[in-house]
This record gives sequence, C-alpha cells and structure tokens, in this order.
Amino acid sequence: MDQEQRFLGVLASSPFRIAILYSIVFALGAVAMLGGVYFAVSRVIDGSTDNLIEAEVQGLREQVLVLSRSDFIELIEQRSQDQEVRGAVYLMVDPQLRPVAGNLPSWPKIAADQGKWIQFKVAVPYGDETRVHEVRAQRFPLPGGYRMLVGHDVQERQDVKNVMMRGLVAAVVLTMLLGLSGGFWMGRRILAHAGAISAVATQIMRGDLSQRLPVRDAEDELNTLAREINGMLDKIEQLTLGMRTVLDSAAHDLRTPLNRMQSTAEAAILQLDPASPERRVLETVTTEVDRMRGTLDALLRIALAETGTVAREAVDLSELVASIVDLYAPVTEERGIKLENDVAAGAHIQGSRQLLAQALANLLDNAIKFTPQGGRIRVFLRNEFGGPEVIVEDDGPGIPADKRELVLGRRVRLDQARKLPGSGLGLSLVAAVTKLHGARLVLDDAGPGLRVALKFRQT
Amino acid sequence: MHILIVEDDQIARDYLAKALREVGHSVDVAVNGLEGLHLASSVALDLAIVDRMLPKLDGLALVQSLRATGRKLPVLILSALGDVDDRITGLRAGGDDYLTKPYHMSELMARIDALARRGELGSAEAATKLKLADLELDRMTRRVMRGGKKIELTAREFQLLEFMMRHSGQVVTRTMLLEGVWDYHFDPQTNVIDVHISRLRQAIDKDFDKPLLHTVRGAGYSLSEDE
Repeated sequence: MDQEQRFLGVLASSPFRIAILYSIVFALGAVAMLGGVYFAVSRVIDGSTDNLIEAEVQGLREQVLVLSRSDFIELIEQRSQDQEVRGAVYLMVDPQLRPVAGNLPSWPKIAADQGKWIQFKVAVPYGDETRVHEVRAQRFPLPGGYRMLVGHDVQERQDVKNVMMRGLVAAVVLTMLLGLSGGFWMGRRILAHAGAISAVATQIMRGDLSQRLPVRDAEDELNTLAREINGMLDKIEQLTLGMRTVLDSAAHDLRTPLNRMQSTAEAAILQLDPASPERRVLETVTTEVDRMRGTLDALLRIALAETGTVAREAVDLSELVASIVDLYAPVTEERGIKLENDVAAGAHIQGSRQLLAQALANLLDNAIKFTPQGGRIRVFLRNEFGGPEVIVEDDGPGIPADKRELVLGRRVRLDQARKLPGSGLGLSLVAAVTKLHGARLVLDDAGPGLRVALKFRQT
Repeated sequence: MHILIVEDDQIARDYLAKALREVGHSVDVAVNGLEGLHLASSVALDLAIVDRMLPKLDGLALVQSLRATGRKLPVLILSALGDVDDRITGLRAGGDDYLTKPYHMSELMARIDALARRGELGSAEAATKLKLADLELDRMTRRVMRGGKKIELTAREFQLLEFMMRHSGQVVTRTMLLEGVWDYHFDPQTNVIDVHISRLRQAIDKDFDKPLLHTVRGAGYSLSEDE
C-alpha cells in the first residue's frame, strides 16, 4: 500500500510529468526524422525497380514485333535464366493461361481491372523451405492471344522498408522508455528529497525548532534552497529562544517581588488581630497579589503559546473534553444551567494537554458566566473528516458579529462583561492555544448565544 | 520535621523559615545551590524546599545530583518561572512536587505535609482498603461503605474520596485536588472543586451524625475524625 502510494506519488511528481512531455516531443522528432528517411529511400528504390520493369516491357514489346514466336520464347527463357539480372520475373502464357515460357509456375490470379501495375505473392524455394516473395509486375498482350508478364521480385526492397519501419518504431519506443524511466528516476530522487524536507518541516511546525532540513552533498537547487531555509531556521530559533529567555526573566522578575509581597503580607496578617483594620488592608493586598498572579499566569501562558516552543505529546482529545465536562458538570447543575455534551471517542492530536485543558476550561468559565439560570451549554466533540472539532455553545447574549474579531485580542471586554469577574484574557489564551495547535478558532452565532469552535487538523 | 530551605531570595527565605519554625519544624537554610547540595547530602533531613533558580548550582542540577547519589529525600521545587513545561522538567529532574511563586503559605504547608506523609505511607498507597472511622473504601471492588451502609458514588466522586482518604488528617488544597484527581495544572475561574466537594459531602456525611469532610478556611479541605 505504502509502496503503491509512493509509486503513484512519483507518477504525479513534476519531474515525471515534464519527462512525459519531453519523451513525447522527442518521439515525435524521431518519427519525423526516420519517417522522412523512410519515405525518401522508399521512393528511390521503388522508382529504380519500376524503371527497370518499364524498360524491359518496352524492349519486349519491340522484340515481339520483329521476332518469330519461337525466337521470342527462346529470348524469354534466356532472360529468365540470366543470373545477372537477379529477381527478374517473366511469364508467357497461351490463351488458356498455360505457361509457355518464363520462370513463374503459373499466371497469378488477379482481377482484370487492376490497372498497369500489379503486385502479387510467389512462393520461392529456399533449400528445404519456401518463402513468399512480393512481386511487382506489368502485363501486356502478345499476338495470337498470348500474354506476357514482366516483373521484379521486390521482396528485398520490402525487407528494407520493413527493417526501416521496425527501426523507426524501435527508436520511438526507446526514446519514450528512456525518457520515462529517466523522468521516473528523477521524480523519485526529488520526491525522496522533498519528502525528507516535508517530514522535517512538520516536526518544526510541531515546535521542535532544533530540527534542520537535510542537505545532500550536491549543488542542486533543492540543496541550495534547503541550506537557505536552514539559515532562516537558525534565525527563527535564535529569535524564539531569545523570546523565551525574555519571557523567563520577565516571569522571574515579576514573580519574585510578588512572592515577597505575598510572604510579607501573610506574615503580618498572622500577627494582627482578626478585627483590626490593618489586617483588612493586608488581606486586600494578598487578594490583589492573587489577581496579579492570575493575570501574569495567563499572559505568560499566552506568550509561551505564541512562541510555539511548548513540548508536545499525544493527547486523547476525547478523554480531555469528557474530563472537562465532568469537571464543570456539578457547577452548572448548581447554577441551574443544563450542560449537554456529545463527545465522539477516539480523537487524538499532538499537543499540550495542560494548555488545551486550560483553553477548554476558559471556554466553559465564559459560557457559565454568560448563561442565565435555566439556560443551556452544549459541548460537542466531532471527529470530522479533516480532523476533530470541539464546539462550546451557550445561549447567553452572544457576541455581535462585528465584535467577534475584537474579543480575540488581548484584554478586550465588551461593555456588558465589565461588571463580571475575569481578566479579559480568557479568549486570548484560547486563541493562542488554538494557533499553537495549528487549529482554527471560529466564533459564531448559536442563535441565540455564542458558539466557539476549535477545528483541529488531522495528525 | 527537619526541613532544608535552599533559596537565594532573603525575604522569601526568612519568612519561609520563620513560618515553618512556628508550626514546629526544625529548619536549615542554604543561600545557594552548592551549599544546599552539601547540606542535603550530609545532614539527616525529612524534606527539602529548593528554589529553581539558584546561584552557583541551579536548583534542577541540585536535585539531579541529589538523586544521582541515590538520596530519596522528598523535594519540593519552588519556581519563579512556572509555565507548563517548567513543571514537567522540574518533576523529571527528580522533584516530588512543584509550586509556582507567588504561593500561599497554606498551599505550601499542605504540600509539605502531603510529601512527608507520602514517605511514611508508602505502603498505604498500595493498600486495597482505606479506612477512616466508620468510612471504608475498597479500591478493588470500588465500593464505599459507611457505618455498614453502602454509599453510591460516581466514578469521579470515588476518585475524589480516594484522594482525600489517602491524605486523611491533612489539609488538601483545591489545586492539589485539581492536580491529583484531574491532572490539571491551572486555576479555573469557577469554583468547580468546591461544588464537587459539596456533592461528596452530601454523599458521605448527610445521613450521619459525625461529619468527616471539613472545610479548612483559607486553605482547602480535610477528611478527618476530628472537628
């Protein structure tokens, strides 16, 4: 199966298709060239025998006027035996078509209206076997109802023509074969190289930036291209690593003082009387530290997802979606929201389970936030042909069509959401995680409500 | 418990040492990785709290070196990086738990207790029957009984109860539950865990006089006989 596919792949490759085109052009060239030669040579040899016969007929027509019948018969016999004129054919018959003289055994059976030139086949003994030769001839009447046939064995010239024709066909076939096998070989070589490049490109797209395209020890276009792309990848890797380093130090430089703030505040709280106003102030500090931490976590995760350098693993998307539904089921029930789900089994992708889980949790957090009591949230996982698709639908207010692009940007909260809790980064994280997984995020009208679809590609 | 703190940030280190001493632990401190490794390999310890980024010897390298010498000392890694991959590299290097800064002291305390108990209760983890007062959980038959009465639980409630029973008598935080039962490492905006716990409480405590599942204010939950 795999082999068959590879074979079909080569047939569809561009070098092979170019080779087919060129084979056809060269074959047509061979036909034109050898065909011309064939035509010219045929004319020359056809013409020379025809002239020979014409001359002989002319000569005999003159002889028959001056010679007696017996002398004429002797002349014919003599000519028939003449070894120097190889291939000459003579036959003189009486009015009953019985042979009188000549080297043909019988008068050929030929329709009367055949014109001046006739062509027929004669069996010629060759040692033990007989061969059929082609004879070209003219007939003419003799006095007294006798008839004369003068011709020439044209088998040789037929043979020459046949050889030429065979040569022509062989040349065309050979040209096509050489062209096609050359094309196939080239196609396979290029496909192998292109296949190696595309395999590496897939790994790079999955986040392994250390991969490089294979470069062979040759100076062809593909190698040059691969080398240039590798140079580009070096640059990208450098930039991405730089971005990660910046992210890491930003994380470190923000978390360390936040941690000190938290520690100091917590330590002080323990020393204070629960009712003291100072304690309440410090508790506000720790609450704000928590909020800052939440925002920082979200921002760092978005930035991390956008660098594309998150480690990937095989993720059972069906299990993940089912488990998120399971996590949120009690909370929706408690709030009087119906949580419906239809999760297809066996959807697998390559990705980050934690980031995917958080993205799905954000979608459910949002859906719960905007769905009124008595409302409904629906979660689907469909195994579509092109890849799995996760859909979260609510019947809340939805997002107006002209604002859907907007909410995917950082920290956009529509007016109606301002009074609700949240960092405004939820959908941004979903968007970044979706992009990281090479998936598409589609916001739609669930009529009423919002429908968010994550369309993954088959891996 | 005898606990080693390896942390280069003085304010965080002092506060942590003080807080641990206040609850009755004895504490050693180290200000860089090399000093930390030296103490960890020479002093009898019950637990080590190691900052991830340290001068002289990185926190991960410290843990790796420690594990290379065969020391089974429970290690909690504190990190100021703390994104998805760092957690995995931290645990892979030999850390037993991983906490991102800034953290709540209650979260850290709960995790320290869990880590210390994990060493003690190595055998309990493999036991098929878990027991607390009149509550019994059989991991083989997946049956839960209280006071001789069978209690019906969903698969998730069972897992939740199993986790609580393995940590009975300790404080279990929401994040610990989310990690231990769902294997998720983020904080949902919705109070999902609280609702799961209140359902479990309904199932195991409702028809009985003495409640076993308690809420620990500002920290999490605890399953124990004591009020």
